[in-house]
Amino acid sequence: MKIGITKLVDLRQAMPALAWWVVCSALAALFIFPIYLMVMQSVKPLDEAVAIPPTLFPHQFSLESFLALSGENGSINIVHHILNSLYVAIAAVVGTVVVSTLGGYGFARLPFPGRNTLFFAMLTTFMIPFQAIITPLYLVLRTIGIENTLLGLALVYITFELPFGLFLMRNSFATIPAELEEAAFLDGCSPLSALPRVMLPLALPGVVTTALFTFFASWNEFFAALILITDQDKLTLPVTLSILQTGQFGTLNWGILEAGVVVSAIPCIIIYLLLQRYYVSGLLSGALK
Amino acid sequence: MWARDSQKTFIGDLTKAFNKSHTDVQLRVDLIPASNFVQKFGTAVGSGSGPDVVSIDLVYLPYFSSVGALEDITDRANTLSYKSGLDPAHMRLATYKGKLYALPFTSEASVLYYNKTLFKKAGLDPDKPPKTWADIETAARKIRELGDGYYGYVFSGACAGCNAFTFMPYIWASGGDVLKGRGDNPKPTFDSSIITEALSLYRRMWQQGVMAPLSRTDQGSNAGPAFASGKIGIYGSGAFFIPTLSKAKGFEWAVTPIPGKSGGYASFAGGDEIAIPKTSKNKDAAWSVIKWATGKDAQSVLAHDGIVPIRTDLLKSIYEPLNPNYPALARAMLRGRTPYSTVYNALFNDNNGPWITMIDDAVFKGNIEQAQRSAQQKALDIVSSGTSG
Amino acid sequence: MSGFTKQGPRNDTPYTPTAGVGRRRAGDLSWYQRRQLTGVLCVLPAALFITLFFFIPLVLAFWMSLYRWPLLGIHKFIGVANYVAAFHDSTFLHAAGFTAEYTLIITPILLIVGLILALLVKGSRRGTGFFRTVYFLPVPIGFASASFLWVWLVQPDVGPFGRILQMMHLVAQPPQWLAATASALFVVIAMVTWKTSGMQMILLMSGMQAIPTELEEAARVDGAGRWQVFFHITLPLLRPTLALVLVFSVAGSLLAFDQFYIITGGGPSNSTITAVYWIYHTSFVTFQLGYGSALSILLMLVLAAVSFVQLRLIHRSTEF
Repeated sequence: MKIGITKLVDLRQAMPALAWWVVCSALAALFIFPIYLMVMQSVKPLDEAVAIPPTLFPHQFSLESFLALSGENGSINIVHHILNSLYVAIAAVVGTVVVSTLGGYGFARLPFPGRNTLFFAMLTTFMIPFQAIITPLYLVLRTIGIENTLLGLALVYITFELPFGLFLMRNSFATIPAELEEAAFLDGCSPLSALPRVMLPLALPGVVTTALFTFFASWNEFFAALILITDQDKLTLPVTLSILQTGQFGTLNWGILEAGVVVSAIPCIIIYLLLQRYYVSGLLSGALK
Repeated sequence: MWARDSQKTFIGDLTKAFNKSHTDVQLRVDLIPASNFVQKFGTAVGSGSGPDVVSIDLVYLPYFSSVGALEDITDRANTLSYKSGLDPAHMRLATYKGKLYALPFTSEASVLYYNKTLFKKAGLDPDKPPKTWADIETAARKIRELGDGYYGYVFSGACAGCNAFTFMPYIWASGGDVLKGRGDNPKPTFDSSIITEALSLYRRMWQQGVMAPLSRTDQGSNAGPAFASGKIGIYGSGAFFIPTLSKAKGFEWAVTPIPGKSGGYASFAGGDEIAIPKTSKNKDAAWSVIKWATGKDAQSVLAHDGIVPIRTDLLKSIYEPLNPNYPALARAMLRGRTPYSTVYNALFNDNNGPWITMIDDAVFKGNIEQAQRSAQQKALDIVSSGTSG
Repeated sequence: MSGFTKQGPRNDTPYTPTAGVGRRRAGDLSWYQRRQLTGVLCVLPAALFITLFFFIPLVLAFWMSLYRWPLLGIHKFIGVANYVAAFHDSTFLHAAGFTAEYTLIITPILLIVGLILALLVKGSRRGTGFFRTVYFLPVPIGFASASFLWVWLVQPDVGPFGRILQMMHLVAQPPQWLAATASALFVVIAMVTWKTSGMQMILLMSGMQAIPTELEEAARVDGAGRWQVFFHITLPLLRPTLALVLVFSVAGSLLAFDQFYIITGGGPSNSTITAVYWIYHTSFVTFQLGYGSALSILLMLVLAAVSFVQLRLIHRSTEF
């Protein structure tokens, strides 16, 4: 152990460059390998996908698995569930961004009595898992009359992304120099109109980060969606996958299931690759406070 | 109307047929994931919402009847001319304290599928399916001896519902049972000696390596495809497996009833019943749907979609001619039984419940009596406390 | 993102109105009051959301936990009987123990793997950015999707992992990963490590990069070896970050559900049921909503206590 860690200390300088490349590449292969297998599995013909022993790369390329998710012959129509997930995720993103931008601005820039207490109260939601209040949450949704709706699910997601969003946006606004705000006020802006004109553009990175986090969280969320949504028609992607896994007593095909996983995972990976700057920096700023 | 997602294939046809023949009532079906059906329906009824008609897995009827979730339809049902032709196992499950709360809708019977090609290869007569437990063991062992990759038997060892469906008939056909006494909440008999013997049969096949290794962890989705791959001798399943299997190439297969220890046979009567929730707002329209669904037209549509009809009086005319394997299934269905318990879900269908835990501990770990004892204890706790605490 | 400095949230800098502001509008409210009012209005939507979908359900959960509350049928006040029952529920106690065990195993693994990755990819040398991206790649994939991927990977016959081991002649038959508690747990831990260590890496790396290089260099000049520098300079200065990573992974592990629900289904023989899994089971499989709420409240208390201790830890370590 001692030797192991000694070596780790600034491994890069201790090791010749080649060794560093070898170690990092090997690790990279480990990280990519499951993703590779998943994609390959999804483009095998259906019978190859359940072949014993399994093939490690498709001997034949086929989109059968994806076509099996097209809703023909009573199967799952994946496009429908993608739209459900998109609807929930986008509604959650818009809601979280708007509410936490307003709230973050209020908490950072507009002092009012009891502001800090209120902010602290909202942050306590960080500490309590929503898994623990899922049953009463259902009762609340039912009372409002939006149980078993995608809107209800989106509202729940907004609530549980809010602490993070508020935290992030409050920090974003708090670090904007006071002079800029003052100048806006002198130009005749009211506290509210200063938000879109002056403050928001400066806090844009925070907005993007909040949006990204909410998107990933809502797109991937499983537990609440499993419990709160009843109709199969309204299921989001992750829960749809669990239906594919259960199958109908023996009709599960691992190729089809992995095709479903590809559909739900690849968009996240692509969005991450495109916007990783925001994602990672937001993670750091949100977390390292 | 609410139905389970696994019914999607035929429910579409059925809805079309209904809406075409009715102008005053129109049917719209919402599909609910089977794995969460009880929770979803329970929550809906509990909150006063929910459908006008519901199609429920028959095993849950005692529970929903006992908590007052369903409308008493005794009088309405008495007006039906074909009431006596309805499947008795279904009718029994739909009755609670002398009142009828649902009518049979679809049926399902468990049977053994066996691979005739492998039987021939292993020197067995492909036209003489196993008639006793010893036959099963011998056939399975001989098929295993065909070599690497061949297995005699497969089952889903981590799927509670699957084993209620395919393992209980072994017990029934040998004169045993899993519950004792009639009434609303019969006592479990998980520690009976006939269950010991049935578990020992599985245990022996597992220990000798006759069973496919995937049996141990399969949650219900791998055993079927494994049989369909043509390398497994015997597999217990239901009529729903026929369409999948018909697509399998390269071997011949047939259906035979699940035998008792030294002969006889039994089957698990599964399927759905159709009922009117207490909260239904259109009870008369709902009844017209039920009446139609149990009628000859609807049942013929079902038979064409591969569903066993619930009208014993119609089996010969609308079902058996459709497929050479159907008569065997129809025979199995007539011997079908279903455990009656208001806590069925917690006892038998729960993947973390006592039934499957007992099978897992006994078959794969070998401490059969210990497994039975602790499962019996857990089951007794469930029965005495009632699930809903 | 440059703005996220330590003092960020604290510098409220109350705005002092200048002469020009006062005369902008002769309304009923003063400038201060209007600003206060705007502030209240701004945070109002957030407060509404959190009250409606968080605080009300929280109170309801507590209330329900004092009842015998079946999904259907009559509910009845039974005081603390549900809480008493929890301490006699062998499955729940086992689940709590298992959750603790899982947390204790996975937390150091994630920390160490994260630390190794962070050490490998910190700095700005060519290639670090690429490897950082690659190691982080599984993070945005959801837990459910990742679980559905891994449950296939480890299937005994059709899964590729067993096949690969077989091809490497490490095993004769593809192993039954999910048939024994230890190997099932191993699969889940491998999956979670794969999925989340990129996150730990990024956090630890940024912590390391915040340490002034002069400190480490000065120690080197003073004759300290790499080992000494790491343990006496780097690691202590990394403590706030380490504590934070710890909080993340502990809270996440204590609430584990998706990965066990999907990959092991609680098996074999109910040995991998976690606390949240059992709450789900109680409330939504056997419909004991009151009892399920009581278990939830207990879980909440444990989590709050653990978070509190850890926050103290962070607090103290920032004063280091």
